[in-house]
Amino acid sequence: MQLTGAQLHLQALAREFTAAHIIPVALELDRKAEFPLWVVNEAKKARLLCMAVPKKFGGNEYDSVTQSLVVEELAYGCAAFATTLSGNGLSSYPLLIAGTDEQRSLYFTPIVEGGLGAFALTEPGAGSDAGACKTTAKRVGDEYVLNGVKCFCTNGSYAKVFVIFASTDLDKGVKGLSAFVVERERAGLSVGSVEHKLGIRSSNTIELLLKEVRIPADHLLGNEGDGMKIAMKTLDMARPIVASIGVGIARRALDECLKCVRAGRPGQMVQFTLADMEIQIEASRTLVRHALSLKEAGLPYSKESAVAKTFATDAAMHVCAAAQQLLGSSALSSGSIVQKLLRDAKILQIYEGTNEIQRIVIAGQLLREEAAKNAASAAGR
Amino acid sequence: MPKCLVCYKWTLDEQDIKVKPEDLSLDSSRAKGKISDFDRNAIEEATLIVEKNGGAIDALSYGAPSVKQSLKDVLSRGPEKVYWIGDSSAESADAKVTASVLAAAIRKLGQYDLIVCGEGSSDLFNQQTAPRLAALLGLPCLSFVQKLTLDGNFVKATRNLGDCLEVVTIKTPAVISVLSEINKPRIPSLKQVLGAAKKPNEEIKIADLGLKAEEIQPKAVRKSVKGFVMQRKNVIYKESSAADNVAKLKVSLVSEGLC
Amino acid sequence: MSYPLTEEQRLIGQSASEFAKESLDTIAVDLDRTGNFPKAEIEALAGYDFLGLLLTAEAGGAEAGFISYVTVVEIIARSCPAVASIVNNHVLAAYAIQKWGSKEQKQQYLPAFAKGELLGTVAACESGPAGIPNPGTLVATRQGDGFVLKGTKNFVKSAGEAGVYVVFATTDLTTKPIGITAFIVDARTPGLKVGAKQDTMGLRGCPVADLDFDNVFVPESTVLGLANEGAAIVGETLAVASVAEAAQTVGIVQAALEHAAAYSKQRIQFGKPIGSFQAIQSLLANVAANCYAARLAVFDAAAAIEQGEPFLAEAAMVKLLAIHLGQKSLIDVIQVEGGYGYSEEMPLARLYRDVAGTTVRDSPADFPEGLIATEIA
Repeated sequence: MQLTGAQLHLQALAREFTAAHIIPVALELDRKAEFPLWVVNEAKKARLLCMAVPKKFGGNEYDSVTQSLVVEELAYGCAAFATTLSGNGLSSYPLLIAGTDEQRSLYFTPIVEGGLGAFALTEPGAGSDAGACKTTAKRVGDEYVLNGVKCFCTNGSYAKVFVIFASTDLDKGVKGLSAFVVERERAGLSVGSVEHKLGIRSSNTIELLLKEVRIPADHLLGNEGDGMKIAMKTLDMARPIVASIGVGIARRALDECLKCVRAGRPGQMVQFTLADMEIQIEASRTLVRHALSLKEAGLPYSKESAVAKTFATDAAMHVCAAAQQLLGSSALSSGSIVQKLLRDAKILQIYEGTNEIQRIVIAGQLLREEAAKNAASAAGR
Repeated sequence: MPKCLVCYKWTLDEQDIKVKPEDLSLDSSRAKGKISDFDRNAIEEATLIVEKNGGAIDALSYGAPSVKQSLKDVLSRGPEKVYWIGDSSAESADAKVTASVLAAAIRKLGQYDLIVCGEGSSDLFNQQTAPRLAALLGLPCLSFVQKLTLDGNFVKATRNLGDCLEVVTIKTPAVISVLSEINKPRIPSLKQVLGAAKKPNEEIKIADLGLKAEEIQPKAVRKSVKGFVMQRKNVIYKESSAADNVAKLKVSLVSEGLC
Repeated sequence: MSYPLTEEQRLIGQSASEFAKESLDTIAVDLDRTGNFPKAEIEALAGYDFLGLLLTAEAGGAEAGFISYVTVVEIIARSCPAVASIVNNHVLAAYAIQKWGSKEQKQQYLPAFAKGELLGTVAACESGPAGIPNPGTLVATRQGDGFVLKGTKNFVKSAGEAGVYVVFATTDLTTKPIGITAFIVDARTPGLKVGAKQDTMGLRGCPVADLDFDNVFVPESTVLGLANEGAAIVGETLAVASVAEAAQTVGIVQAALEHAAAYSKQRIQFGKPIGSFQAIQSLLANVAANCYAARLAVFDAAAAIEQGEPFLAEAAMVKLLAIHLGQKSLIDVIQVEGGYGYSEEMPLARLYRDVAGTTVRDSPADFPEGLIATEIA
């Protein structure tokens, strides 16, 4: 897949941005688990923020391939930064999928001004089983009242706006889930505990507490019960982006190995290891582009999205492990970026739907297609 | 220089016993043997006494043939010699039979100043062995002992009777049963473990004990052993206000006699 | 495991388990957080004869054999991997001195090693990616009635805490294979510098630092074995280290496996404990199977060491198995605990960081595959 001039330009921009603002500080911020508030501003200045927000609302409205290129570059510098900056994208997608223009304006305005958005779906009892949400949204007059606890919410401490999933009908289970836009200022919304993580430590991951949070009824995205559909479509869009983070990490791991071995004459095992890493990276990137090309063409792409996410994140993990093997003990001291890559890579197999869930999605799609084929041929006979 | 005897039981480690959910029967296939918990305290107490006062410790156990696996374990913890009776009758033995067999063995082994047991075994916790043994041997018995000191021919014990502590001094020989609070059994060092192989053990055949048939006939017969599964009440109070829920909970707790 | 352990080996494992439960389970989290040296625990281990496990009775050791040793290492590693690292390196140094040391050297070091009065370690590592020679190799040149050592050893475990370093230096670069000499170097030797303590990703209770030799003079009496003939000592010492480190890896994986298995029974999603889903069962089962196989390989290599049989190829195979086990298992096991597995409030994140330190190749020359392939040809 050939990249257009505009895409190449933004890729180069993102690469420069990463070299200037991310690479010099990534290790230290990881060590301190410090959130890089200033980088959001820099990203806005460089027009690398609000990538998914339509121009109509002041955003950059880059096509998805461009978004993936940028994220890959950011992740090359630091997966935590990439997670932070693409958290905006993740939380923007529901608005693109189901938001009215008023809702979009409400959500995108603070983001375009340089603020952050956060997506709150997961709960302590609802991880892979997203439909098991216990957070409730009770309709009272012309308001909804939200009560519950969300967890693993990226950017939650700093976000100006949230997309929060809550149940408008607990008895309906998954079909009772609804999505809401919630501004940070709403009374009753507060940050609970902050996660101390193995990796992506400079990314902010929190527990979000909702106690009698009142929002206008027009903050409901779509209709009551649309929540799961919105969430699933959001994840379809987000998965190739996560896959791109994987590609970025893997590329960085490979480059770190190349830097180390180029001086000597690497033996065959080292050469083969480098080759295997490259194979994984190329394949990952190709899967991302393929999924996104289907999306851009308006074709169904859920399965391809899941395939790209699974493959690229598994690949990133394996590439980092191979880099650690190749580089030995020096990879494990805190001054080495490789130990950070090793820790960062692991989360990619877990968030945005664990790779186990991805496989359920893929298998489900295959079996549906197979069943449809059988039904079609039976009908044809 | 007291001559001590510790009686111990080789039981199954209850941690590894699984309860089959279908019929609550026990699956002990993966359970390994261990010295009954309180008996470890008994061995340790005897060891501490001998470290302080001189003397020596023998150990004695009546169990299934698998009791043979316990010998080095016991010998690594202080005793100089272990006597063992490995007989299938032990599997159905009740407290009466156990005490009869041990008493008969002890009569053969000779005089001891102190006979120390654990207050109860890890598996059955009948708490009868020591008192029955003492009665059969015509010796005084001090049970529920949480502190023990030997002073010449006298032994002073602090007994934990639940709502009070009783301090008793008696003249040896005596049978003592100890609680787990009495000491913290030390971990055998590697040298102690390896030294156990050099210490003697002697099998006593139950046939050689001259016991009458009714002495080894259990009075209590175990028909089956089932696991216990805690049944949760799973009551949810769903009143609209927290105060109402608390009130209901309080009523429930009081009616159950919990407060 | 039905591996035929003797009663002594089983009881030694029992003592180790009790010690680990009492004294190591409780310090693991703090040790990782502070990176402090677990002095009290190492002393306690000496008190139970664990540090002198392999040493002869004459030296004050327990003479318990290598199978007992790997049993103990796995148990310690299940509770606190960093302590297992310290113990491994100490016991390794003791092994080397016991096997190749002169009477005087054995008398000088082994009783103190057994009592834990002196901590030993082996400085074998040299930095640099696999397969690429490192110019910073330690070189020993004859001078007067001794040698002058110049160069650096990297990633020396227990550096700074150890009183004695068993060190390998090249003494003749012209021959093929190159001449190597092993030395027993006292930490107080003038000119020997311990570098800054490194901040490592895992095994943080075990200090790691470079050892700098800036023209350090060591007398002839510090040579371990024969001068210039240390290659065999290096080979065997690193082989023994491989087996001991593999036991550590197995312990870490076992601990992670047990935690994840217990979690999978409690965590309810989609109305069922996740442990009832085939995907989770498969994940755990494969880790368990690989762990089981690796453990048996460790035991077999340990038996070869104990029985005085050839074990270099076996040790190399064990190393490969342990590398695969360590790397793959923690990646997979964390999946079971999902987002919670990624949290530092739970143990898997720490075990993930710890296991990485047990799956490294010691030096650019470390290529167990080559050794194995040569043996099986």
